[in-house]
Amino acid sequence: MSKDTKPISREKFIEELLRYRKGSVSRRHFLGVTGLGLATAVLGTAMPGLRPRPAYAAGELGDTLNFTTWPNYFAQANLDQFTKDTGVNINVAVFGSNEEMLAKLQAGGTGWDVFVPTNYTISTYQSLDLIEPLDLAQVPNFDESTQEARFIGEAKIGGQIYAVPKDWGTTGYVVNTDKVKGEMTSWRHFWDRTRDDLSGRVMVHDYQLTTIGNALKYFGYSFNSVDPNELAEAEKLLIEAKPHLFAINSDYQPGMRAGDAWLSVAWTGDASQLKRDMPEIDYVLGTEGGEIWTDFYAIPKGAQNRPAAYAFINYMLDPEVNAREVLAHGYPSTDSKTNALLPQEVLTDPILYPAQELLSALEFGAAATLTDPLRAELMARFKSA
Amino acid sequence: MRWYAAAIYVFLYLPIALIVIFSFNAGKYAMDWQGFSVEWYFKAFANPFALKALRTSLVVGLWTAVLATSLGTLAALGLERMSGWPRRASDGLIYIAIMVPGVVIGIATLIAFVTAFNLANPFLEGLFGDAAPRLAMGLPTVIGAHVLFNLAVVILIVRSRLAGLDRSLIEASEDLYATPLGTFRQVVLPMLAPAILASFLLSFTFSFEDFIIAFFVSGPDSTLPIYIFSSIRRGITPEVNAIGSVVLAVSLTLLIMAQFLLRDRTGSRGARGDQA
Amino acid sequence: MALRRQKGVTALLVGPAAAFFLLLLVLPLVVVVIYSFGERGPAGGYTPAFTFDNYLNIASRGQAFLNTLMMAPLGTLLCALVAYPMAYYLAVKAPARWRVMLLVLIIVPFWASQLLRIYAWLLILGNRGIPSLLELVGLEDVRLVNTRFAVLLGMVYGYLPLMIFPIYVSLEKLDKRLLEASADLGAGAWRTFRQVTLPLSLPGVATGSLLVFILLMGEFIIPALLGGGKVFFIGNALVDLFLQSRNWPFGAAVAVSIVAIMLATIAVYMRFLLGRNQLRQEALI
Repeated sequence: MSKDTKPISREKFIEELLRYRKGSVSRRHFLGVTGLGLATAVLGTAMPGLRPRPAYAAGELGDTLNFTTWPNYFAQANLDQFTKDTGVNINVAVFGSNEEMLAKLQAGGTGWDVFVPTNYTISTYQSLDLIEPLDLAQVPNFDESTQEARFIGEAKIGGQIYAVPKDWGTTGYVVNTDKVKGEMTSWRHFWDRTRDDLSGRVMVHDYQLTTIGNALKYFGYSFNSVDPNELAEAEKLLIEAKPHLFAINSDYQPGMRAGDAWLSVAWTGDASQLKRDMPEIDYVLGTEGGEIWTDFYAIPKGAQNRPAAYAFINYMLDPEVNAREVLAHGYPSTDSKTNALLPQEVLTDPILYPAQELLSALEFGAAATLTDPLRAELMARFKSA
Repeated sequence: MRWYAAAIYVFLYLPIALIVIFSFNAGKYAMDWQGFSVEWYFKAFANPFALKALRTSLVVGLWTAVLATSLGTLAALGLERMSGWPRRASDGLIYIAIMVPGVVIGIATLIAFVTAFNLANPFLEGLFGDAAPRLAMGLPTVIGAHVLFNLAVVILIVRSRLAGLDRSLIEASEDLYATPLGTFRQVVLPMLAPAILASFLLSFTFSFEDFIIAFFVSGPDSTLPIYIFSSIRRGITPEVNAIGSVVLAVSLTLLIMAQFLLRDRTGSRGARGDQA
Repeated sequence: MALRRQKGVTALLVGPAAAFFLLLLVLPLVVVVIYSFGERGPAGGYTPAFTFDNYLNIASRGQAFLNTLMMAPLGTLLCALVAYPMAYYLAVKAPARWRVMLLVLIIVPFWASQLLRIYAWLLILGNRGIPSLLELVGLEDVRLVNTRFAVLLGMVYGYLPLMIFPIYVSLEKLDKRLLEASADLGAGAWRTFRQVTLPLSLPGVATGSLLVFILLMGEFIIPALLGGGKVFFIGNALVDLFLQSRNWPFGAAVAVSIVAIMLATIAVYMRFLLGRNQLRQEALI
């Protein structure tokens, strides 16, 4: 890679960003050095979303926002900046599966204002009357025309938008290549070696969709299968593999970082974050396929801090903010305005943008899997086995 | 024998030492030592959610302790006067209450609250229209479940003290024409004091430490254990260690003060003996 | 006369507590029993029905029941074994002027969040903790976290003080002159312990064991944090059924079963192990 020809490398960008954060360089210096200034200036005239952010009177948005998301999934600096701009403190809660979020919402009284559901869940939330259609006038930074269509389809129900995209990604696995030798390119490799030489060093998500889905891929079945016979085979594999697992947990970064685990089912961004600190980490998309997904911002019915929720979503969709998100969490954006601000290195990173032949084998999660009683019970049996 | 005791103390305090040491970690991850710093203490005190969770836990703990201790003491006094099947039924209920695990209490109260709210809310809406108060999980539901969890224990503690009471003192008081209330205030209550104190401390501690019941019924108001659990899932930072250390330091201070104040009065037995 | 007067006063005294028990214990338990015969709703939750399927499905949680029923008694036993010498030291051997201080030191850990203390064990047992020390002495590839051993250790650690206290109280009540008499009569230290000290301290052991056993049977946090989702207790299975797979009726059936098992176990425990009336009375505080 010819680093010098690029306007700025990723490391340099982050370094500048940190300096800017700490206040040791001015905003102008930061924007100038990183090229964001130019991009902002050019784009700002053309795109309404890039006008200076609306200023809020103190207290106008309340002082609290309850934000429910996933592990390792936001840039703290962005959240801090929002608090500084608006006086709204953000209470972050982290969940490891969509099913858990659904369970909480069904029981009621969550107090959530904004949460992050995955594409396949939105239709269920809508039909259960658990989320509300978004008032897009309050989210000017969302512009359908700059969004990649395949990523946002499921948020639109009956002509109304129920959620706006946060980012997209894939579900593969991370390998610590210092510890794990030999070819690792498929789900067959993953499950076979789990039950063999990697026993005790493997993690899977505490999440039915990915754990069952990738067990199904071992047999070449659809990631979304709800067929009882196919599920029975997947269950057999999972139960066999269970004694060989290090843990069942959707937050696998601590285990991978500490060296307790060497192999784990993983999402794009966790792979990027791990790779940043541990070059020996590889991200693998199984050749059999697996999951591609979009995550969204949505507002639950009865949210207490609705103005703050809208302000927050709009803020997070601001391309400049969103670009900082991508640089921090390492998931690709669905928004071309955001991508325009990102260094080339990020846009060609094979973890974020896997090769086309790998991508084309992936499936979006299917709504049926969220509520399917067989899958729910299979996962529960696997965990208590 | 001394060495064994020393080993037990090491066993008990090793994790606590780690919590306190890592609260001074300059790094971002709780377990990755990056040098000495007190910045996380400042961050903890500037974090409205940590403080709110702490406050919620204190409020819940105090309400629980007050309600469980007073209702439990009254009930213990009342049970003394009962006999026959009502007494046997009450005793059975108390033992069941003690034996039902916290997780089942959490689930049972969750189901009951959700069912009750789902029935009540449409009714309230019909009554008051859009301005209707909506019933939902919150502090009252946690306090209710916590009181329930502690009530039976309080009744048993107070009752065991009552059983050991010297009846002749009560009779003497009555012989001296004290009113029943006077007898209660001047004779019974002072004798029950250690049990009441023990009950109060015990219910407060159980409530302050409880995770599993609050996990089901706390609604949007996090208690401190829920906040800590959620921090562990979020990737724990030394901030949580700092909160834990502060709570520990405050309770130690209170304890030493109490020890100092009660030194001449109760000594080592009284209150604690009953706690068992 | 004072103790058997107007029923009204009695009702006033007992009333509030009774109301609490009825509204928050009896009623919810009745609802749980009703739910346990229902069916899972299409998206989870509860749909009214009358079926025994949930109870017939209990076997699918066999391992969680087995884990709980094996490890809760084992943890209780270990706890008692570790606690007894400590309680004995505190009650009999410790210097009198330090005794209060030493006792207080036993309860202090309870005020540093249980969650954080258990989490700290995760660091101690994790790859960078004890295993890395063992590597120095040549023991490679030792895994401690997310094992039954870790869960058991966490259980003993978490509830040790609750066991030490009742034993301490019963040992402390013991008349020291009895020990002297036994020694005067020529009994050795071991014999004195076995024939005098141990029998007299059994009520404390019984109370502590009951307390710890009850808490361990419903344990959730320790297996969740130190078992890595691999060592499942009934408590974990229950949380999972309500907060992941949203099968409330089945969860209700599991809850009813665990309560039934506990009531039965404890009834048997009281009847056979604590047959002697006096012991039973003392044991229950």
